[in-house]
Amino acid sequence: MVADREGGARRTPGRAVTYAVCGAVLLGGCASMPDSGDLRNVESTPRQDTGVRVFAVPPAEGASPSEIMQGFLEALTSDDPHYDTARKYLTAQAARAWQPERSATVLADGPGIMAETPPAGREPNTGRMYALAGDRVATVDDQQAYAPAHGDYRARVHLIQDPKSGQWRIDALPDGVVMGKSDFQRNYTSVDKYYFANHTRAGTTGDPVAVADPVFMRSKVDPMTQLVSSLLRGPTTWLGPVVRSSFPTGTALKDGTTGLTPDDENSLTVPLNAKAAHVGPARCTEMATQLLFTLRNLAPTLESVDLRGPGGDQLCDLTESRADSVAWHASAQSPDYLYYLDGKHRLTRLPASGTGTGGTPVPGAFGEGTKQLGAVAVSRDERTAAGVSADGRSLYVTPLAASVPLEPPVLTSQGPGADTRLSRPGWDARGDLWVADLNPARPQLYVVPQGTGKPVAVTLPELPGPIRDVRVAADGARVALVVAVKGDKQSLLIGRIEGGDSVSAESDAQSGNGDTPAEPPAVVDPRPAAPDMEQVTALSWAGDSRLVVVGREQGGVHQMRYVQVDGSALEGPAPAALSRVKAIAAAEDDRVPLVAYSEDGIVRLPSGAQWQKVDKDGTAPVYPG
Amino acid sequence: MPRDSAASAPGRPGAGPGRASGRGAGNPRRGRFFTAALLSGGVQGSPVVRLFIRWVRRPLLPVMRLWRRNIQLRVVATTLLMSLGVVLLLGFVVIGQVRNGLLEAKVKASQSQATGGFAVARQSADETAAATHGSTGGNGTDGQQSQNVIQWMSDLVESLSSGGSGAFDVVTLPVGDDSGGGRSPRGSGYVSPAESVPASLRDRVNSSSSTAAAQSYTRIVYSNRKDSQPALVIGKQVNDPNGHPYELYYLFPLTQEEKSLSLVKGTLATAGLFVVVLLGAIAWLVVRQVVTPVRMAAGIAERLSAGRLQERMKVTGEDDIARLGEAFNKMAQNLQLKIQQLEDLSRMQRRFVSDVSHELRTPLTTVRMAADVIHEAREDFDPMTARSAELLADQLDRFESLLADLLEISRFDAGAAALEAEPIDLREVVRRVVGGAEPLAERKGSRIRVVGDLQPVVAEADARRVERVLRNLVVNAVEHGDGKDVVVKLASAGGAVAVAVRDYGVGLKPGEATRVFSRFWRADPARARTTGGTGLGLSIALEDARLHGGWLQAWGEPGGGSQFRLTLPRTADEPLRGSPIPLEPKDSRRNRGLDDGGTPRGGAEKLATVPVQQTGGNASALPPRQGAATPVADPTALPGNGNGNRVVPRPANRGRRPDDRTGAQVPDPRAGGGPEPAGQDSTEAGEAFRGR
Repeated sequence: MVADREGGARRTPGRAVTYAVCGAVLLGGCASMPDSGDLRNVESTPRQDTGVRVFAVPPAEGASPSEIMQGFLEALTSDDPHYDTARKYLTAQAARAWQPERSATVLADGPGIMAETPPAGREPNTGRMYALAGDRVATVDDQQAYAPAHGDYRARVHLIQDPKSGQWRIDALPDGVVMGKSDFQRNYTSVDKYYFANHTRAGTTGDPVAVADPVFMRSKVDPMTQLVSSLLRGPTTWLGPVVRSSFPTGTALKDGTTGLTPDDENSLTVPLNAKAAHVGPARCTEMATQLLFTLRNLAPTLESVDLRGPGGDQLCDLTESRADSVAWHASAQSPDYLYYLDGKHRLTRLPASGTGTGGTPVPGAFGEGTKQLGAVAVSRDERTAAGVSADGRSLYVTPLAASVPLEPPVLTSQGPGADTRLSRPGWDARGDLWVADLNPARPQLYVVPQGTGKPVAVTLPELPGPIRDVRVAADGARVALVVAVKGDKQSLLIGRIEGGDSVSAESDAQSGNGDTPAEPPAVVDPRPAAPDMEQVTALSWAGDSRLVVVGREQGGVHQMRYVQVDGSALEGPAPAALSRVKAIAAAEDDRVPLVAYSEDGIVRLPSGAQWQKVDKDGTAPVYPG
Repeated sequence: MPRDSAASAPGRPGAGPGRASGRGAGNPRRGRFFTAALLSGGVQGSPVVRLFIRWVRRPLLPVMRLWRRNIQLRVVATTLLMSLGVVLLLGFVVIGQVRNGLLEAKVKASQSQATGGFAVARQSADETAAATHGSTGGNGTDGQQSQNVIQWMSDLVESLSSGGSGAFDVVTLPVGDDSGGGRSPRGSGYVSPAESVPASLRDRVNSSSSTAAAQSYTRIVYSNRKDSQPALVIGKQVNDPNGHPYELYYLFPLTQEEKSLSLVKGTLATAGLFVVVLLGAIAWLVVRQVVTPVRMAAGIAERLSAGRLQERMKVTGEDDIARLGEAFNKMAQNLQLKIQQLEDLSRMQRRFVSDVSHELRTPLTTVRMAADVIHEAREDFDPMTARSAELLADQLDRFESLLADLLEISRFDAGAAALEAEPIDLREVVRRVVGGAEPLAERKGSRIRVVGDLQPVVAEADARRVERVLRNLVVNAVEHGDGKDVVVKLASAGGAVAVAVRDYGVGLKPGEATRVFSRFWRADPARARTTGGTGLGLSIALEDARLHGGWLQAWGEPGGGSQFRLTLPRTADEPLRGSPIPLEPKDSRRNRGLDDGGTPRGGAEKLATVPVQQTGGNASALPPRQGAATPVADPTALPGNGNGNRVVPRPANRGRRPDDRTGAQVPDPRAGGGPEPAGQDSTEAGEAFRGR
């Protein structure tokens, strides 16, 4: 081979060498993996779902009553869209009357079946009575709102033998479905519907503020269509009073619409009925925004929605990039800086997305360290900061601008101890400052319009105990309260904030006149968000309907975890464990690292990494809000 | 016309012996089929079938023709076919091995995975059962115990399938048509359980009553519109916490293996394609290198055989082909040299003869004058001297005529003879000749009869030459006629006229009919030259006939006399196709069917021979001049020493060959007859037949 080539080279050296070099280059190019070039986009492929599916089977011929019961309960865990197979276990009459969508009851270990002796007066042969029993964990109502529950569950099911065919069938049963907790987690998924807050508008732009309304959908039964219908039906009862929907009342999907899926360009076409045919373009854009925010929970790659009228004509369309300019959306806001108090009690800031550890003091009074501060909060536009003095007695508000002197405190507390005075303040999207006076004698929640107005006392509902901490959601419509129950125990409650006349007054009083609102806002209907938590030591909003909480479960240890505002358990991993967390800060945008104040000082948790130390001597880390 | 080519086309492959090796054993049968179907089908089939066959065959004909003629095409096509076959075979083998290897590895890994899964399932069931028993304290009725199974089963499937998302899926099925209590079909990853698990596997799993796991290949059907894919499914019967059996299946999609296999397939197909193309190209190149010189040699050889002796092959390189070319060129050169030498030699000899004749003329004139003087004064001499003087005059006459004949024949040899053709009536010529021969006939006691002179027999001919030919023939007939009658027959038909001279003398022995035209040939070489003619008369006559584009042919049978026939075209330069008079006369012994000599040969026939011996049977159609060129190259035709023996051997050699005789009969089909058995013609030997 070599000799041949050399011989050839001797004859026509130039050409042979050229050929050899070309061949070698070609071979070399083909025979090794490429290490550069071929730049292109990666098509998003849907994640493979490995979830278990139960395939319901109709009752077997001549099945015994207990087999009928088991088969029926198993059919309830299947993906059957309208429980058609489950209905085959019922008598015709019961099948017509049974309404499985009315509710879903979640039992800890699934329903147990116990035979009961039929009540006296019935013929023994005409029927059998069974009781379904179990430990209730939660219920999902007909609006698909989740509510934690506890206690025993007991329901009666009656079977009769069909006189003609001789088959056993269920003829009396409670509405709704019942299933075990893991089946529920397999079959249902939590999705946030988005509505607009009634009274809150984003302070800087005046855009409506989106409020998340978590519901549970059957994840394997055309979830997108279900979700759109649910969104159109309106908010859940609990949230309803404080939010509005842009969809005109009665708007629904066009009759017979099923199987909504995004097309190849990640655009979803939603056909609506005649009620929505005459909305104006601005209203329509708001409607599309609601849809887009909501559907991106299910399909994160969705890029646009296209609303169609009953005749198929386009009402409006909206792309994802435009949606953020239509409405203010907490999880779309990315804070610029992380703020904390350094060892010299100066308010220091650090770029939120960076990896650096050297903070710089903010301009303004707080950055000079003249005032000893215990807790701080920075407004969402990052122009104003509020600070509570180290003794918790006074609340100061100052702009983050150089050479502005510190003004007198906006609010003072008369509490007896440092931890029974003012709580950590918080800003909402509108720019109002919320702070609680933890004085056990007169606990009170105040709102300071625009941080500078006259504090307004917020009406509080009957609470099981004194407030220990308070965090207002970015939308200004919900508030998370930590309430001491008895002794050492605390529980986390979520209440909605009603009484929004202050908004209009505030909007009118933009000039800073500070009119007193006609009706003070009120926290209404607090409900438990983490019923299994015994102790809550720190918390922060970490999403539209999610909080990150440091606490202790019953019989458990201190740990950090996420909780859903409706009290349901969240799928997905908890943050990496960290001991002795005293304060925690998270942003609604989940790309921003979690920051905690622990015995190691201020540490942060970038996604996909371990905790990193930021400042050993720092305290009170906060993101804007 | 197509029928003809169809008849020959399939016939020829069978006739070509060299092709059988290249085309395989199936071919002769196909050839026969073609012959049978295409040929006889054309005869006996309906017109539609015939039309169809013709329509099918028409485009094939050029292809078959090309196939037959082009060795390069055949070799390349055969190479392509064979390499394709080998590549296909190799592909099947390799793909089969790769497939088996992939499957084996997959099956082993899958079995261990599934076995582990089955153990986990059993363990989970046992633990749950133990916990339930423990907690309920034996209080469990059947209904009580089964409370957890629905959820437990879903949890089990989920935990088993979470081990390998995408790598396998887990399916549970109830045993038989059992339902309820956690025995509804369950499947992870959108697998449709009932369709994906084959019924035969379920039977096996159920029949073997639990202990053994079973496996099978299947196709996974998905419920979410995903394409189904091949898979390995391993199943076993397992008990749930209540002790009820259910079927647990592990499905391992063979997607990755399929991809590997298709990669191998694609690679093999590509490589095979390249190999086939490469082999085809190599065969094409090699055959081209061999065939091109062969084709060139064939072309050169054709041109050489056409007489262009200066053609040579182009030779490049030093390989075998070059050696072939060199040898070929050397051969051609030697051939050319030899032919050139022979041509030179014969030209020299002709010139020599011509020169000698001329040179002898002058002294001969002087001698002649002196001899005339002596001859006139012979009465004054004593008888001895007078006799000598007469002898001298006689021999001088003979010498003169011999010289004249030599001059004449050398003119023919040199191609100097010119034809002065004009329309003449052959009856006139015959009359003149017969008139001239009357005295001789009277002396011999025979009579000359002329037959067929009632109508004019006109032809474009040279009267002088025709008269010379006829005189020669008539005088010969009279001289050898044994005093019997000589018949001169004239006839005219088609584009030809003919004069036949028939005698009833001793006739000709077999083989002599061609030899009589040889120069200086004598039937009896021992006879002295003193009597008779010069031995050149018939040769000259033949040359004269040939000059006219006519034939001069002889026929004879021993003891039955002979007949010489001159056939001339009616117009000059018109090729002859036949003669009006048969060469063998009607009154020959064979035609009469009797044997009046009492000799042993019953149906003794005499073959008709053609005098145009140099050019063969078909040469009569050639222009005479070409024929005249041939004897030039014959050195044995030299009349130099007057020895007739030198002339004899060549015709004798030719006459001995039977195929030559039959070929000689071709020009006149009417004279034809079966070939005569050799060796039966010796009875009449001894009678001379020679030119005058």
